Amino acid sequence: MTSLVKSRLIKFLLSLIIVLIAVLIIIFNLRDNIIYFYGPTELLKNSDKQGQIMRLGGLVSVDSVQNETDSIFYFSITDGDNEIEVKYEGILPNLFAEDKGVVVEGVYMNDGRFIANKVLAKHDENYMPPEVIETLKKSGKWQGE
Amino acid sequence: MSLYIFYISNFLLLLCLTASLMQSSKIINNKIFTRPGVMVLASVQLISILLSFLILIYLFLISDFNFDLVYFNSHSEKPLIYKFSGVWGNHEGSMLLWILILVLFNFLFALSKRISERLKDITVAVQSIMIFGFVAFLFFLSNPFVLNQNNFFDGIGLNPILQDPLLAIHPPVLYVGYVGFSLVFSLAIAGLITKEVDQQWASIVKPWVFSAWAFLTAGIALGSFWAYYELGWGGYWFWDPVENASLMPWIAATALIHCVLMLQKRNVMQSWTIILAILTFSLSLVGTFLVRSGILNSVHTFASDPGRGLFILLFIFLILAFSFSLFAYNSEKINKTSSMGLISRGTGIQVNNWLLITILTIVFLGTMYPLATDLLLNKSLTVGPKYYSTTIAPIIILFLFFMFISPRLGWNDTKLYKIIIQLRYLIITSLTITLIVSLYFELFNLTEILIIFFSLLLIISSMTASINFNKQNILVRTNLGQNLAHAGFGILMMAVVSNAVYSEERIYDAKVGDNLQLQKYIFSFDKIEQVEESNYNSLKAYFQMKKDGKLIDTFTPEIRFYSNPPTITSEASILHKFFSDIYLVMNVPQDQQSISVRMHIKPFMTILWLGTLMIIIGGIVSASIRIGRFDEK
Repeated sequence: MTSLVKSRLIKFLLSLIIVLIAVLIIIFNLRDNIIYFYGPTELLKNSDKQGQIMRLGGLVSVDSVQNETDSIFYFSITDGDNEIEVKYEGILPNLFAEDKGVVVEGVYMNDGRFIANKVLAKHDENYMPPEVIETLKKSGKWQGE
Repeated sequence: MSLYIFYISNFLLLLCLTASLMQSSKIINNKIFTRPGVMVLASVQLISILLSFLILIYLFLISDFNFDLVYFNSHSEKPLIYKFSGVWGNHEGSMLLWILILVLFNFLFALSKRISERLKDITVAVQSIMIFGFVAFLFFLSNPFVLNQNNFFDGIGLNPILQDPLLAIHPPVLYVGYVGFSLVFSLAIAGLITKEVDQQWASIVKPWVFSAWAFLTAGIALGSFWAYYELGWGGYWFWDPVENASLMPWIAATALIHCVLMLQKRNVMQSWTIILAILTFSLSLVGTFLVRSGILNSVHTFASDPGRGLFILLFIFLILAFSFSLFAYNSEKINKTSSMGLISRGTGIQVNNWLLITILTIVFLGTMYPLATDLLLNKSLTVGPKYYSTTIAPIIILFLFFMFISPRLGWNDTKLYKIIIQLRYLIITSLTITLIVSLYFELFNLTEILIIFFSLLLIISSMTASINFNKQNILVRTNLGQNLAHAGFGILMMAVVSNAVYSEERIYDAKVGDNLQLQKYIFSFDKIEQVEESNYNSLKAYFQMKKDGKLIDTFTPEIRFYSNPPTITSEASILHKFFSDIYLVMNVPQDQQSISVRMHIKPFMTILWLGTLMIIIGGIVSASIRIGRFDEK
């Protein structure tokens, strides 16, 4: 083998190994870090999802927000048909309000409660997360266009 | 009055369309449009767009609500600077800004000398095809000069979160970066057509590609800095689809600038350089338009405006189809084989090209996968930030190693052990510092330790390389741009890792008079008061920070209540120290008794921005030096 061919062969094999390793790492990591989104009704149907990190979205039920202290909150998320009680410790976003759309991220516990570690909200009071709109459409409670 | 402006501005857009069409015809070597010349047409393109942009600014400044765009995006009580920046705080206006930069680059390139006439003609023609496409898009699908029939007394207003001096300059800077790559793309196409992708071509491309890259870096950094102090989460990068959209062209462009340098010095990697030029510009298009039209934020806003989204997708598709068929047809003719040593600088750069493409793939998959499942399976999901950090971190280790070793290798086969012996003091120093740091701070994660070690190697190596004396002890000119940017990258990586490991967060319920503790600092809550400003009311809390009983600083986190449109924003109060930032945010009080405050200690933030600044300056230096000293051998 000439040195040019040899050097090309080594480079080619090296690249192939790098690509293979990279693809494997990417696929495994992607699989481990996917966070699914559910509405309350969907989540109740999929009770095997308990213990996983996920997102839950819908409207904050009217008269459901209670605070134990200034940074521990209880509220319910509804899609009109079903409700799930949420516990959240932290600072609520400024635009968090009853009867408004909300998305929380956290773990669905065995006792049917959702422990949220993040409350996601956009800084615009007219904004409705698209997933929430979808959820409300599924339950027939969507009143927009 | 408004009616005249309406006619004039739309006429200007049509004028630019005509000039661009005539300019485009120069792509085929015909004789129909030999007159008017390239320069005349380029001036018409620039002047018509510049004038219509000035008209739009004027409309915003005088608050002419007869125009839809002004009505929906401005308000008479807004401070002057935000009336001004409101011009590009919306889809139509930002499109016009984009086109303005596009014609400006076109004009500047037409001005440049010492370029063969054929290459210049074709480059300007390709650029003009794009100008034509975008002006047509602006005119027909998102015209900023549309009159409404009502006499609105006042406008709706600009989203208050966008009312920020940084966000006034963030889009223009980012756009200069994106659009700069359009010229690189046009040059690549012109090179393919003339079959002259050689060292001469590379030295023409070099200043454009470096300045575009420096602007893109600055644009991303500004956006990140804004997110850090305005969004109030204490983070600076969220792996949000919108951020990823700007990071992807940056990664491709980073690979591209290194290939252009290789091509200039060694006349190798012609095809790969062309592919990267096409890829970078395509990703820039994805970055600008998919973000603006809302596809990345959510697939559903896409459906609400099918015309715009479809146009952009079609345009990207056409660009890719056209350039890759041209590439397939002509690539054999541009390639010249020349050999490189196996253990050489060239190989190092090639390996890092591969690594960059891998990182690009990771970001691309993470960004597109949720979109694909939403479109195809109607299933909503997100990819957690951990995916990016755990996947990219090991690659960064390798990347830093090759960044450190490659500039030390020659272009021809080099003995690796000789280099390592030559650099033994450097390696020992870095190793010692890493050991001390990791023992002192109880850092036992291998990935983190390795990133810190290789970052240190890179920083010290780049810094010592930039101070070089010859035998007469005179400071010789070295590759300053490269060394600055490389050292900056090392500093950035070190800061990112240390910041991730040592950030601390506390949440407190606080009443006036309370003393709160964060590490060795005591915060006493003095008072809370209401302040009225011209366009918002705010609630301000005052905290005095003390250490060992001594007053160090006063913090004033606040919440702003805007009325046009009604929105609430939190303003963080940040103390920047060299080694760490202290960061306070408060929220809307649930009752009148107390407020909740979130406190962060964010180590190395100043150093992180410093590293980024070094990268940007490095890019500017490399762009301005005509013949970089990429090889000394």
